[in-house]
Amino acid sequence: MTTQFDKIYHGLSPEVGKFRVASSGMGWKGIDSGNVVTLEASKVKWAQWIRVARNFQLRIGLSDHTKERFDGFLREEHDKIAQLLKNHFGITLETQEAAFKGWNWGVADFRGQDLAFLVSDRTAFELPLDNVANSNIAGRTEVSLEFANLAGSSKGKLAGDEMVEIRFHVPGAASKAKDSDAGSQ
Amino acid sequence: STSGKEGKGWKKYQSYKGEGGLPDEVERLRIFVDRKAQSVILPIHGFAVPFHINTIKNASKSDEGDFTYLRINFQTPGQLAGKKEDTPFEDPDATFIRSVSYRSPDGHRFDNLVKQITELKKEANKREQQKKEMAD
Repeated sequence: MTTQFDKIYHGLSPEVGKFRVASSGMGWKGIDSGNVVTLEASKVKWAQWIRVARNFQLRIGLSDHTKERFDGFLREEHDKIAQLLKNHFGITLETQEAAFKGWNWGVADFRGQDLAFLVSDRTAFELPLDNVANSNIAGRTEVSLEFANLAGSSKGKLAGDEMVEIRFHVPGAASKAKDSDAGSQ
Repeated sequence: STSGKEGKGWKKYQSYKGEGGLPDEVERLRIFVDRKAQSVILPIHGFAVPFHINTIKNASKSDEGDFTYLRINFQTPGQLAGKKEDTPFEDPDATFIRSVSYRSPDGHRFDNLVKQITELKKEANKREQQKKEMAD
């Protein structure tokens, strides 16, 4: 039996598609392009649920340590998704709390290939470090990350406004460099 | 009742209590000024990240070639070297976002965003000034 969810996005793509779950695995198909993304059941390792801009994101961790993100799920669909993942793949849908306080201070946490910015222990956003084109330490306490022109890259067209740079102020960065926490997921 | 948790002179504020407070416009993954929540919501790699106007110092834009760049500078410690620090912080030792830059082929919209953010900042400053005068 296959369960289908409509109006789901793959990654940051502007294209909507259909997301299907069955015992053999999961799949996404773009409505306009017909592009298909498939996730085999045997490769599915974990699943997370977090609020993003386009409603809720389902992210699936795979056995090759990559992950796929699907946006556009509704709050009400959580229980249905959780049940499907449990029944078909024996995994638990883990909820990650997101931050909406509106503060610009917090903790930068390295999680594998992502840099997560946490406000009051909740995720404000995550940045994929493999998209960083250039990083720069300006002075003792400032770190800047510049992002590649994704719109013109193989990653395809992006929806919305494009962030090209973010600068962090890291007081005492030189003296208290923290170990990266690659095992946090 | 929360004053014990606040740093010297730092007043508690927040944009939204939970995800349900986010306006529908964030779905478009575009910068959005939510006047009611006194916040600017930035799209960051698919997340909708609000920043309360109190965290924002200023916004500016510049045109380069076919693109317009929008830069938002935030309040962070250590910006006022040589001056008396007049902006208190809850946790000055935290990691701060100091600035973000976006680019768009639509210069008109970015121009409009800068105006909205600047106006929101002006209103917040004015309210703060009035509060101070009332307290005197």
